Formats: sequence, structure tokens, C-alpha cells
Amino acid sequence: MEQRSRDVTRRRLLKAAGALAGVSAIGGWSPARAQGANRVVLGTWGGDYSKLLAKNIDTPLMVPRKYEVVHDIGGDAERRAKMRAEARLPRGTSDLQGLSAAQMFEMNEAGLCLPVDYAKIANAQYLLPQMKYPYGVGHIYSGKVILYNPKLIATPPTSFADALDPKHGAKLGIIDIQYQFTMMAAAIASGGSMTDYEPGKARLMACRKAGAKILPTNEAMAQALTNEEVGICIMWKARAVQWQKAGAKVETVAPKEGIPLYISGFVIPKNAPNKDGAHVWLNEMLQPSAQEAFAEDMGYNASVINAKIPLETEKRIGFNADERKRLIDLDYGYLAKNDAAFKEWWDKTFKG
Amino acid sequence: MTTTAQPPARERAPAWSAAAMMTPAAIVVTIGIVLPIVILFRYSLNRYTPAKVMVDAFTIENYVKFLTDPFYIAVLLRTIRVAALCTAICVALAFPMAYCLARTRSRFKNLLLMAVILPLFVGNAVRAAGWMVLFGNKGFVNALLMGLGVTRAPLEIMYTELAVVIGIIAVNLPFVVLTLQAVLEGIDRPVEEAALGLGASPLRTFRHVILPLAMPGVIAGTILSFILAMNAYATPVLLGGPTFQMMGPTVYNQFAGLSNWPFGAALAFVLMTATLVLTVASNWLAHRGYRR
Repeated sequence: MEQRSRDVTRRRLLKAAGALAGVSAIGGWSPARAQGANRVVLGTWGGDYSKLLAKNIDTPLMVPRKYEVVHDIGGDAERRAKMRAEARLPRGTSDLQGLSAAQMFEMNEAGLCLPVDYAKIANAQYLLPQMKYPYGVGHIYSGKVILYNPKLIATPPTSFADALDPKHGAKLGIIDIQYQFTMMAAAIASGGSMTDYEPGKARLMACRKAGAKILPTNEAMAQALTNEEVGICIMWKARAVQWQKAGAKVETVAPKEGIPLYISGFVIPKNAPNKDGAHVWLNEMLQPSAQEAFAEDMGYNASVINAKIPLETEKRIGFNADERKRLIDLDYGYLAKNDAAFKEWWDKTFKG
Repeated sequence: MTTTAQPPARERAPAWSAAAMMTPAAIVVTIGIVLPIVILFRYSLNRYTPAKVMVDAFTIENYVKFLTDPFYIAVLLRTIRVAALCTAICVALAFPMAYCLARTRSRFKNLLLMAVILPLFVGNAVRAAGWMVLFGNKGFVNALLMGLGVTRAPLEIMYTELAVVIGIIAVNLPFVVLTLQAVLEGIDRPVEEAALGLGASPLRTFRHVILPLAMPGVIAGTILSFILAMNAYATPVLLGGPTFQMMGPTVYNQFAGLSNWPFGAALAFVLMTATLVLTVASNWLAHRGYRR
């Protein structure tokens, strides 16, 4: 009797599963499809950035508009490779991709980005001119500054030349994934320019020979600074603010050669399934409330002029009038053209 | 009256049933392995341009680049050296462990086996993260050494070849132990007892009786460990850091970091070929030595 009862239950279960599968097959129903038009898939870095996008944009601004935002989390390299791999498909798998300005340029050069329809983004009228690209929208920005621990570095540095100096030996830390900005900083410290990184190579090699530590990621550098294994490095001011909050005893200095801009933004892949939804998300990304929250939570500067950043926060994360004059943008064309050669030199000669 | 024992007709498997059993796996292998390899090989003959990533071509320039660039040759040689070293240490460490496991009559045998298998429940990256905590300048190993007064300053263990070798051995060891243990279980104890009874020393018994009989397991374990070490990715990235470069991460870097798919595909093929050739060669050498 008991056995029979189990059989019946199993049969019922199978019938129910079969019926559900049948209904799904006939109607093409699935939770994802049901929300298709109101679903936005966002390619982004993981960690804090993804969490803050959800906290400051997706949940408070997109959900009330009946949008579901799904994060496709991964490093920018993997996501760029995915964009390239999906280029031949009529429908891609993401509606937006979070990239740096240099990477947005590179993806556009590869013909993978949809021109942004600024008519659909009302908040774009408040966008800083440097953050407005035909193929993407800048979300946040910061500048490359010098970080140093006064306990380990007696003389405060004032320039990239002071920071990227072989005299620091193993106290100097260099982040592997920041090879472009490191080469650029070394270049402008050695008589080079945004369109000529060659003069910086000798300086970097001298630092390497003197024992400079190469750390794999930004996070590894944060740990090395906190542990006092590293006393000086170059990094975004926003990250310095985060690391200071986390306990790293570092000061920041805006280099006198200039403060290279780091801009993070979003592009819409040409084959994005929900292009309208992507524009809606970009508009919400530029809402003052979202921008203010990002400045507070992550230490990056707002890309819109109507965000009201508290004075105290502005002082901590921003740049004063004199420093603002020294903000310099990268030559993305030069970078895109030479990036493969730079990486090859970095891997084979500098690290090799 | 005698009857000849004939297997019942139903037990004879018809040829079509064998084919039917193999077909699903053959389809999976074809779609999941052979097809991507063919596509990858085709990619390796294409040309790289930074803007378009890949331009259709039929050139061997990617292979020429590998063979003529001392940097990439050095990366391959380093990978082979690390894989060979890890494999040798793994087999040397695994044999006594596997022998004890195979011969023990303890009621805790299953627990001991579980202890060997347990590390396989945790992914390579997670295990490497654990090693990072141990090997850091302020990690457990350095704290212990400095606490005991063995060293005055922290030793640089992280981001060195030593860290990578330890990490890979930790990943591969359970595989080798389990492979060897399965073979050693199949060697009858009386064979060893006969050798010892006839006056052979334990070392001679090991060399002339146990080792030759366990050779299929040694070869299988060696091949398994060597292939895993040659293709290691997470451990070299996390424990080797930016300056210690092996083939697995270099292949990935070409694809994802530089978007140079043709050269990445060529590197993948070089790695696959080197692994295959070295595995076949070592297998052949071992069998030749074993026959003698």
C-alpha cells in the first residue's frame, strides 16, 4: 500500500513536470521572457562597483519604473572579448557594458558600439563635456595621483618623477593591470607626452632593477599599503579615499606634471537586445541622487554638474581649482593603436 | 552426459548495442572537444589586427612568432620544468601514502581515503587563496618562522616559483594518490610476502616486485599530474603573480587581455602539442624501462 502510494506520487510529479514543460514549450514562457522588454542586462565589474550600481541606480530608480536589471559580472578584458565574440550575432547577451574611456574608444573603433541617442537621455544636458562621447556615456571620474605613506617615505613626493624613482627600491609598488597609466605617468615624468610613452620606459626599467614590487591587482596594492610592504605608488584618487577609509595610512599628492583622468562609463553594444531599456538606464545613471551616492560611497567624482556633492566629500575626493587645471585626458587613439605593443613590452621586457 | 557451457544468447551483446552505447559520448566529444579544437586551429592561422582582432588568412606567422621569440620559448620551458618537478614530487609523495592506504586494515581506512579526497571538494582558486594567506609577508609561515627566530625578516614566498610548485603539488597530489592506491590495492599481498620470505630485503622487494607491478598506476598518475600541471591556470596566476609566467595564463592573456585570438590560439596549440608529445614520450620511455 505504501509502495503504491509512493508510485502514485512519483507519477503525479512526473505528470506535473511534463505539463509544465509542455506549457513552457507551447507558450515559450519563462520568467525571463515574461519580463523581456523590461529587462536590462548590464555588463560590469564585480565587487563594490556592482553592489553600488544596484544600490544607487537599479533598486531606487529602475525598479519603480518596472525594470529588472541583471548584472553580467566579469573583468573588462573578459567582457570585451565577449563583445567581440558576440559581434556576429544578431542579438547579443548584454544591453550595456561598463568600460573605461580608453576601452570604450577601443570597442567603438572595433565597430561594436551603438551610437548613443542623447535625445533619449534627458539628464545628459547636465553631463560634463569630457564625459559625453558619441559611442558612450561617462559615469564617474577620478584622477591618477601619488599615494605615499609618510612613515616610509620621508620626503613627500610632488611629481610622478618623484614617485617613479629608483631610489625608493622595493618600497615602490606598481600595479600590473595598470600598465597603461603607469607607462603614461613614467612618460610624462621623463619628457614624454600623451602621444609618446617611449621616454618613460628607461625610468620604469630603472625602478624595476632597483627592486620595485609588481603587484597583480588594485586590491593586492591596497593590502601591500596597509601592511606597509609598499610605501609609495600611483593610483586613482578615488581608490586612495577608499583605502584610507579601510585603514591604509597613505597621503595623496596631485602630481605637478598633470593629473591623468580616469573615466568609467557605459556603452551599448550594437546588438543589444533592449536598446531602449539601455537608454533608460543611462538616463537614471545620470540622476543627481545616483551620482551623489557614488561620490559618497566610492569616492569618484560626479559626471554631471547638477549633482550636489557635500563640501566635505568634495574636499576629500575632488580636485581644487589649481588641480582641475592640471587634469589631462588621455589620447585614446594613441593608446588603442599602441596598446598591444605596450602590453607586449610590459610583459616581455618590464616584467620578464 | 556432458553439456558444453554456452553463454545464453541474450548475454551476447550485438554490435549495434555497443555502437548505441558509444554514440551519445561520441556526439558530446565531437561537439564539445573536437569541433572547438578544429575552430581554434583555424583561428591560429588567421592574422591579428588591433582594430578587428582577427582577419581571415591562412598563415603560419603566429607559430613562427612563437618559435622565434625567446620570451615565449622561455615561458614554455618554464612550464615544462614546473610541471615535471611537480609531477616528480607528487609521485614520490603519493606512492608511500597510496601504499599505506592500500595495505592498511584499519577501521579508519575510509576516513583516511576521505581525507585524501576532501581537498578535491574545494576549487583550485579557493585553495590558492588559502596558500596566499599562508605565504604572505605577514602570513602564517613568515609569522611562524620569525616567531621561532628562524628568520629575522619575512621570506618572499608569494609570487615565486616555490609558491607555484607548492600550490600545484597540493592540487595534483590527491589525484596521484587515488590513481596509485587503486593499482596497489590490486597487487596481492602474498606476492610481496613471497619475495620477503625468499630473503629479499624490503627495498629489493619494492624495486623488483611492488614497483614493476604498480607501474601502470605510476604511469597513469604521472600522466595525470603532468597534464594538470602543464595546463595549470589559477595557481600560477594567484601564487606566481605578475612576473612568474606560465603557458596557461599566457594563453588567457592573449585572448582576454590583448584580444589577440590568432596568437592565443597558436599558443594553445603549442601547449596542447607539447603536453601530448611529452606525455606520449614519457609513457613510451616508462613502458620500455618497465619491460626490461
